[in-house]
Amino acid sequence: MSQYDVIGTRAPRVDAPAKATGRAIFVDDMSMPGMLYGALLQSPYAHALIRGIDVSAALKLPGVKAVVTHKEAGLVKYGVSPARYDETIFCYDKVRQVGDNIAAVAAVDMATAVEAASLIKVDYEELPAVFTIEEALADGAPLVHDDYKRNISAEVHQEFGDVEAALKECDLIKTTSLKSKRQDCAFIEPQGCIATYDLSGNLTLYSSTQTTHYVQRSLAMALGAPVGKVRVVKPYVGGGFGSKASASHLEMAACLLAMQTGKPVKMIFDREQVFLHGRARHQFVHTMTTGVKKDGTIMALKHEAWLNGGAYSSFGIATVYYAGSLLGGPYKLPNMKYDGYRIATNLPACGAQRGHGGVIARSCWEQQLDMIAEELGMDPLELRLKNIMTAGDVTCNDLDMSSLGMKECIEVVRDASDWKNKKGKLPQGKGIGMACGFFVSGAGFPIYRSETFHCTVTIKVTEDGGTAIVSTASAEIGQGSDTTFAMIAAEGMGIPLGMVRIESGDTDFGVDLGAYSSRQTLMTGQATKQAAENVKMQVLDALSKELHVPVEDMDIKKGYIVFKKDKPDLSALKTRYIKEHREWTDNPSLDDELSFREASRIAFFTKGTIVGTGMYKPPELGGKFKGAAVGTSPAYGCSAQIAEVSVDEQTGRITIEKMTDAHDCGQAINRTSVEAQMHGSMAMGLGEALFEEVKFDDKGRLLNGDLAEYKMPTALDMPPMEALIVESHEPNGPYGAKEVGEGNIMPTIAAVLNAVHDAIGVRIHELPLNPERVYLAIKEYREKNAKQ
Amino acid sequence: MKKELKFVVNGQTYDLWIEPKTVLVQVLRDELGLKGTKRSCDSGSCCACTVLLNGKAVKSCSILALQANGKEILTVEGLANGTQLHPIQEAFLDNWAFQCGFCTSGQMMAAKGLLDENPDPAREEIQLAMDGHLCRCTGYNMINEAIQDAAKRLQTQEEQGGAK
Amino acid sequence: MLLPKFEFHEPKTVDEACQMMAEYGASAMVLAGGTDLLVNMKKKLLSPQHLIAISRIEELKKVDSSPFGLKIGACLSVSDTASSDAIGKKWGALSAGAKALGSPQIRNLATIGGNLGTASSAADLPPSLMAYGARVVLKSSARERTLPLEEFFTGSKRTTLADDEMIYEIQIDEPAPYSGAGYESLGVRSCQDIKIVNVASFITLDGPGGIIKSARIVMGCVGPTHLRAHSAEKILVGEKPGEAIFARAGELAMQDATPRGAAFSRASAGYKKDMVGVLTVRTLGTAWKEATGERN
Repeated sequence: MSQYDVIGTRAPRVDAPAKATGRAIFVDDMSMPGMLYGALLQSPYAHALIRGIDVSAALKLPGVKAVVTHKEAGLVKYGVSPARYDETIFCYDKVRQVGDNIAAVAAVDMATAVEAASLIKVDYEELPAVFTIEEALADGAPLVHDDYKRNISAEVHQEFGDVEAALKECDLIKTTSLKSKRQDCAFIEPQGCIATYDLSGNLTLYSSTQTTHYVQRSLAMALGAPVGKVRVVKPYVGGGFGSKASASHLEMAACLLAMQTGKPVKMIFDREQVFLHGRARHQFVHTMTTGVKKDGTIMALKHEAWLNGGAYSSFGIATVYYAGSLLGGPYKLPNMKYDGYRIATNLPACGAQRGHGGVIARSCWEQQLDMIAEELGMDPLELRLKNIMTAGDVTCNDLDMSSLGMKECIEVVRDASDWKNKKGKLPQGKGIGMACGFFVSGAGFPIYRSETFHCTVTIKVTEDGGTAIVSTASAEIGQGSDTTFAMIAAEGMGIPLGMVRIESGDTDFGVDLGAYSSRQTLMTGQATKQAAENVKMQVLDALSKELHVPVEDMDIKKGYIVFKKDKPDLSALKTRYIKEHREWTDNPSLDDELSFREASRIAFFTKGTIVGTGMYKPPELGGKFKGAAVGTSPAYGCSAQIAEVSVDEQTGRITIEKMTDAHDCGQAINRTSVEAQMHGSMAMGLGEALFEEVKFDDKGRLLNGDLAEYKMPTALDMPPMEALIVESHEPNGPYGAKEVGEGNIMPTIAAVLNAVHDAIGVRIHELPLNPERVYLAIKEYREKNAKQ
Repeated sequence: MKKELKFVVNGQTYDLWIEPKTVLVQVLRDELGLKGTKRSCDSGSCCACTVLLNGKAVKSCSILALQANGKEILTVEGLANGTQLHPIQEAFLDNWAFQCGFCTSGQMMAAKGLLDENPDPAREEIQLAMDGHLCRCTGYNMINEAIQDAAKRLQTQEEQGGAK
Repeated sequence: MLLPKFEFHEPKTVDEACQMMAEYGASAMVLAGGTDLLVNMKKKLLSPQHLIAISRIEELKKVDSSPFGLKIGACLSVSDTASSDAIGKKWGALSAGAKALGSPQIRNLATIGGNLGTASSAADLPPSLMAYGARVVLKSSARERTLPLEEFFTGSKRTTLADDEMIYEIQIDEPAPYSGAGYESLGVRSCQDIKIVNVASFITLDGPGGIIKSARIVMGCVGPTHLRAHSAEKILVGEKPGEAIFARAGELAMQDATPRGAAFSRASAGYKKDMVGVLTVRTLGTAWKEATGERN
């Protein structure tokens, strides 16, 4: 029997009725009286000087209400990391990527706005551009930003322990590399927003965003408005995965146009603009050298990473740090050296995406560990178990594994997949492979330096005591966070889930850093739990005074007051309540129980509206070295995955036959929600492993900026997935809970790489594993073998 | 020059005058206020905007509204019977067949088109029928399960209806 | 994305449609399912001033079968093509092509005539139709002409269709006894994909267990339009079917293919060539099975 009444169940999503009926309102479904439509003018060149901008023809077009450029927008620099604010709302001196933003138009309808934007004349002087890491680093290469010398937008150099000394003691040293391609978040709802501005100077933005708080701060900064006058509201959001985690030019332009015209302005990206905005997965090139002892003990890792970052920094500094720091675990690794470089190029900017920074590094290393196991004659699963960390271990770079069910995850997938009877024993063309991974449960620090709480939550009980309204600025973007917090709130107050209503995603509800770095379950969850317990205490406190029962002798469970000792005489209280409820239909029956509703009504008489508050910021976390902030987290979720594949050796086509996945999410708040996140992670990982690649021509223009030519997995591409929940107890998490949304994507690519090797004996060091790449790898392998 | 569009949407007859260049999703969303049908890729490659045209699944972003002249359209708003959800909606809800929910209306409409033709589809048949629908959240397994579950619910409903 | 402006016409008969085509000429395009046309118009790749919608003309949706073969109306939807018993029974490779085309939503609207008129070398229906030796009937107000499908395509996105002409009908002869055909396509994903390569093969044997009397192999995505693998066909004729000769045919088909190796295309020229070989062997295998199987 679970100690919990709500947590750990499979309650339906709180937003399910809205979504199952098409009634969930997304931003494109909204409109306002007098609303104008906005369109952006974006650069057709990857790198060019702006000699002049002539907006006169656009302004003359009937129906146009405003045209804005850098002249109206100003030149305030903003971005994600304060150390790399390198964007302005509109370009003024030059453009750095195709799709860079020059101007925006507001007009009475979309067709007029689009036409007006096309009438703006820009005098460009095309400059030589750089698109690849090699081009950007070449001697005399043009600079994307003058202050990023050699086009290096960020670099990291870290060493923990003594890698060279440790390598000298090793019996086997292996060096391999892995090169990935740019992946797009490819959420189904394109970014969109509606900005309104009133005569009192209040700016309100309804936006498809993951982070209302950061958007609010960026808007205030770039537009020169007081933070308190800027409100950002998130309606239902159709997926984010990282790209919607920072303020976009679309949001900036809409606000500016609303401020200029005094009317609501709606702007929606088309699909190509989603790709041009980018801010998704970087392209990574990793080279790793690992040293091990004969018995498989991992001694040292030397790691170099190169990231193609595109035109702006966005989340990139964090990305290049994560790419190194997330290899500190989940294996005992005493010595680690990391050199990471993020390179600016004239491609759309890259940013954060599910598994931020760590996915390709993890894939490279997990493939290499398989190769090492093979050379040592060990089962790769056993090699991992031999080196596995357990709860309480601290990595060489100071990541504290306060809970870690990694070993259990490996054992669970091993048994569920029948690994022992399959590994190395399947017929030619069929293979099985495994890998592990872990991820943060929230970043230890906000993106800007601050002592701020990472989240605040309030819970207000309606006067009749019938409903508890949870208010949080956190972002439900599809991942199920509203359901999670409603469940935590219900558990914390001791009431059924049906009595809880949640409203979220509005900066008016408080501070919440938003949906990124898998932070909400743990952090917003802690604040919600605290607020809920605060409500409970207030109700019990009022009751205590009425009944003369000490608070500590009472509790609330399943919506009823629990008297731990003798039950007091409730008749006076009951009578009072019934009098209050004379005309109401929801009069409780005359039983000898006292419900939360009755108790809260009584509490209202003495305390007014019961409002509970909660807040959270992480405790002081380890690491004093430069960059220690990236990777530290109150907790870490971890996964082990097994992929089973078959390979058509004549065409190179891979079919994923089955995925077996175990994830340690601490205490599962909602079991189905955890499984759903596991499924979604695997699908995204399989897409990156097999198909996905944003392609550009030699002028930096998109070649596949649509969902037909950008290949993400379809229903037919997805195998049956077995999602197995491993529950540890995370001391820093609410009820012991931690993340699932990102840790679970870490092993997927490597599990496939290792399974493909098991199937056909070929190691492939470049993604995606599309038919041609696999076919050529097989061909090369056979030619090499034939010569020997 | 505007043209007359006379058609039935969710059982209701409409008589409108529209520009020929208007695509079906524009009429549904902007003229009739049926916002449950979503626009995503807007170019025929994601199926988020799927509705039923005379019972067949079509993408409303890449069909002229005039191509629906004289025909019957069913959108997500026409699935439920008042406050009673359609078994497909119930199954999607109970099986967590959505996360963000943006592709969901289209998925449910295609599921309806499939189950009307094939009341007992195998997993492979469901995958084939739903293949054009892009979903970034779920990995599709729970959608498949929801459609299998919906098939069962519909059969039960049929049997109970038949017994009356 | 918004469509550009155009005038919309909805003729009730083929004659009326032809008259409109004669009147508007190059400024008009025929709208059948619209799955390709409207997307290309949204992307501003095409901007006809007139659209002539023919999907309500019942005459264009027929499937007439006779002992001599099939006559298929240009507006038969791809899903009806895929599910037609008349087609499936004797022209299985055409059904296979129809089933491989796009998603159910596309198949429900797209038409067989539209798939030909688009003249994409990646299209799914032309390989099988060409392998079966299909003919197209083109109509204008002035004339009607029938020509082999092979001669209909003149290049990438180009056909012999005159400005005032429309595709009226597709004709396929009854396959000779002991014939069989196969169709295979390869995409990056499992389905809903624009193909990397597709191939259809058709063979006729001179009797059960006999030699190959005639062969037609058609390859897509490896030239400006669908190509015949003439040298592969030639080597098959007069031979007993079998793995060895199919492998040889595959090699020759690779030589017959002339894929372009654009740096950013879906696959390299070399890979496409190699895949033509693989798919030729596979489709010949299917064709052989059918030619000797229960169907005859």
